[in-house]
Amino acid sequence: MQNKGIRIEGLTKRYGKGDTAVDALKGVDMQVAPGEVVGLIGPSGSGKSTLLKCLGAVIEPTAGRMILGDEVIYDNGWKVRDLRALRRDKIGFVFQAPYLIPFLDVTDNVALLPMLAGKPNTEARKQALDLLQALDVLHRARAMPSQLSGGEQQRVAIARGLVNHPPVILADEPTAPLDSERALAVIKILNDMARKFETAIIVVTHDEKIIPTFKRIYHIRDGITYEEAGDGVDLR
Amino acid sequence: MKLLPIKGRTLALLAVVVPLLILFIYVALRSGPLAPVQVTIKTVENRPLSPALFGIGTIETRYRYKIGPTIPGRLMHVGVQVGDLVKAGALLGEMDPVDLDAKIAAQDAALKRAQAQLREAQARQAYAQSQAIRYQKLLTAHTTSEELVTTKKHELAIAEAQLSVSREEIVRLAAERDAMLAQRDNLRLVAPADGLVALRSADPGTTVVAGQTVVELIDTGTFWVNVRFNQTHTYGLKAGLPAQIILRSHADQPYEGEVLRIEPIADQVTEETLAKITFTQIPKPLPSLGELAEVTVNLPALPSSPTIPNAAIKRIDGHLGVWKVVDGDLKFTPVTLGVASLDGYVQIQEGIDPGDQIVVYSAKTLTKRSRITAVDRLLGLKT
Amino acid sequence: MISLAGRDIQHALGKFVFTGFGLGLLIGVTLTMAGVYRGMVDDAKVLLDNSSADIWVVQKDTLGPYAESSSIYDDVWRSIRSIPGVARVANVTYLTMQVRQGERDVRAMVTGITAGEFGLPGWPPQLIAGRQITRGHYEAVADNASGFKIGDDIQIRRNSYKVVGITRRMVSSSGDPMVFIPLRDAQEAQFLKDNDAIWQQRRRTGENPNFNRPGVPGLLDAVIDSQSTNAYVNAVLVQVKPEHNVQTIAETIQRWKRLTVYTRSQMEEILVGKLIATSAKQIGMFLAILAIVSAAIVAFIIYTLTLGKIREIAVLKLIGTRNRTIAGLIMQQAIALGVIGFVVGKITATLWAPVFPKYVLLQPLDSIIGFIAVVVICVLASIIAIRAALKVDPAEAIGG
Repeated sequence: MQNKGIRIEGLTKRYGKGDTAVDALKGVDMQVAPGEVVGLIGPSGSGKSTLLKCLGAVIEPTAGRMILGDEVIYDNGWKVRDLRALRRDKIGFVFQAPYLIPFLDVTDNVALLPMLAGKPNTEARKQALDLLQALDVLHRARAMPSQLSGGEQQRVAIARGLVNHPPVILADEPTAPLDSERALAVIKILNDMARKFETAIIVVTHDEKIIPTFKRIYHIRDGITYEEAGDGVDLR
Repeated sequence: MKLLPIKGRTLALLAVVVPLLILFIYVALRSGPLAPVQVTIKTVENRPLSPALFGIGTIETRYRYKIGPTIPGRLMHVGVQVGDLVKAGALLGEMDPVDLDAKIAAQDAALKRAQAQLREAQARQAYAQSQAIRYQKLLTAHTTSEELVTTKKHELAIAEAQLSVSREEIVRLAAERDAMLAQRDNLRLVAPADGLVALRSADPGTTVVAGQTVVELIDTGTFWVNVRFNQTHTYGLKAGLPAQIILRSHADQPYEGEVLRIEPIADQVTEETLAKITFTQIPKPLPSLGELAEVTVNLPALPSSPTIPNAAIKRIDGHLGVWKVVDGDLKFTPVTLGVASLDGYVQIQEGIDPGDQIVVYSAKTLTKRSRITAVDRLLGLKT
Repeated sequence: MISLAGRDIQHALGKFVFTGFGLGLLIGVTLTMAGVYRGMVDDAKVLLDNSSADIWVVQKDTLGPYAESSSIYDDVWRSIRSIPGVARVANVTYLTMQVRQGERDVRAMVTGITAGEFGLPGWPPQLIAGRQITRGHYEAVADNASGFKIGDDIQIRRNSYKVVGITRRMVSSSGDPMVFIPLRDAQEAQFLKDNDAIWQQRRRTGENPNFNRPGVPGLLDAVIDSQSTNAYVNAVLVQVKPEHNVQTIAETIQRWKRLTVYTRSQMEEILVGKLIATSAKQIGMFLAILAIVSAAIVAFIIYTLTLGKIREIAVLKLIGTRNRTIAGLIMQQAIALGVIGFVVGKITATLWAPVFPKYVLLQPLDSIIGFIAVVVICVLASIIAIRAALKVDPAEAIGG
């Protein structure tokens, strides 16, 4: 698979019809290369969530193109039949709250995705444990989510997002509940992982602490994105 | 990572599920058709049996005198009350004679008249005889005629005939008077034997018909129990067997008695055999006639033989038998029953031997495939 | 693939077990209700079994002796006995009445049995204590349910009887315990009037000039005697020789003796079909309502459990879990809940069944049907929850 990150061209989304129609996205262009972490910043109501949902293949855009890796997934209509499999295999999600499955332990929370994809349990667990090791939470592999600290939970959530090696990860306010030290640690992990797994990561945030860490930032306002260069502060 | 190590949660799950399952299996096996049937088992043993018969009867007396007039009439007086003890010949009461006394008086007068007539006839005969003798002497002296003598002899014969008529008339009248007196006597109600007045069913002034009972006497010396026995058991019942009599009025005190006789005719309606049981000693105070009595007649003891409780006997497919336990399995064995005793034991003539194990009580109807558990006492029995 | 349902149950074991327990009690009530119905039918059947008769001979055109009153002369049995193929006959009387013992009285069905010969129809087929009746009078065998003990003196009408044996599960079709006494006593108990009534009857007869004629001594006594006869029984029980056809003999009796005759199956039809039909319907109605209520509660519980997991389901959907897997999660939980409920229900029903005053019969087949019904109800009930779960928008997991 030739990984080309994610590219969006002229994506629009219109809610409603006729006179009451509202355009949430008015032709968004965006491109994130593999291994790159970009920030997506915008005030409430700017169309940030709508864009995220469109990227996550949860809602259908009205028009435009989306290319994930080397596959056109949307071109004025879905080009992929099984959106669930798409989400499972090609898109990683990291949320504001970790949203771990409370009745599964850490390993199985992470291993669930490969298992859903049909991998044998042992292989899926192995994959998960590798990732947990990479994220330095291997010692909590047998714990239940409720027994973890906020940072640990978020790292497990990142592990879950990464476990199927998707070309893109969508992170929705991943640092919101964390203090600045932990928030920066999470961003560092995302950066490390992006490099390590050649993943394009889009971080939706308005967390002032982490904005300086991005090399590239997309601002979104009234459904239109504006690209600008970030400070790209070195986290080391 | 191969196997999950057993964790606390798994243990907790097991701790809930395992006891629940064990209880479930226990419940499924211990109740319902899969559960074994509780039974009590007894070893058959030889023992002597004292069979007995049980019957119900009423107190009666052998003799009961129902006294009443032989002719219809009105009762003049009754001299006794219920409960009086009377001697033989005692006057119990009397009927109103109506005109009988007057008739007797008339008869007396007629008798006197007849006696006067007799005297007259005797006088005539005496005169006729003397005349006949005198004329006979005169004839011998040839002072009278042969004809006259014949006339006098004839007159004597007539006088003698009239005399015998008068005599017979007196006999007739006397007999008639005797008859009236006897009738008069018959109006008196007299006790035929010693006894107790048990009933006084009419009072003076009552008109009674011939044969109606006015006073009833019972013979207190001959109380007995007229007892009814179920016919199925009466084999072996015979006169002379000892019996125990329990009167209803005092159930705690049994009386000794003896079978006097078995009635040759049984009661067809109640399908029972009747017998008379006499008291060895008549109870004092006297029991009421008609009082209920329970009688147990002890039959001669039988020699020792295999004996089982009657609760063990079952009828299956028309055969009487018992459930024999052989190596924990049930086997229905037909038996031939012998004599039964009143305390619930039955002799077995054929079918089982001493030492055999048989089922006496069972919580459910047994079949050949029933699983059983032997217990001393069945569960759920109230004490 | 791991079992999501199993993990969830493990995670919330306490909640799950408590819910299952509550549901189990409800299922227990439902099973017990079925048991009450079976018990009623069984009461009717044991009554027939215990009489061990093949044929019931009763008064012409009656449904006696259990469903209607019937009286026939007590010497009818002789003519029936002489019919070829008849093995045994026995007179029997049934009378439901209050039996007194000391201070208390018990409603019981007093049954008069022909004393003497063993194993006659009508006799209690088995005892659990004591012995069979041996005396022809004043002995009784009582059912354990009456509470009488061996050696008790019980009062039936004017006579007192000694309890010599105890039976189990010998009950009338309405569940009253049976008390067996000798036939002669039972006839008296049934047909003999009380003392006051006898006195009044005698006076009434005595005042009737037709019966108390001056010129005919003894007529009154004869009339009074004839008034106090009790030569009746309720039915004659007949056992047929094994090689003979019951139906043929029943028809013979019916035709030539001009009596009404019922065979075992006809009797069962009368008892189950007529005598307890209304009560059975009543219980059936109750059972149906209970089943509906149980189903509604199961549906409600499963729905609530699912709503509590709506966020997790959204996440699962977002990360690409198939609908099948989510439906499986809910349905497996519903079935597991049903199974726990059934197990608890079966246990509780079995444990409390003996405490009921009337017989509760839990049949294994009913339990199996109950189990299948519970599973089906759980599956159906989970459909509503599954529909709700499938409607969850995966977008809900993403912030706004």
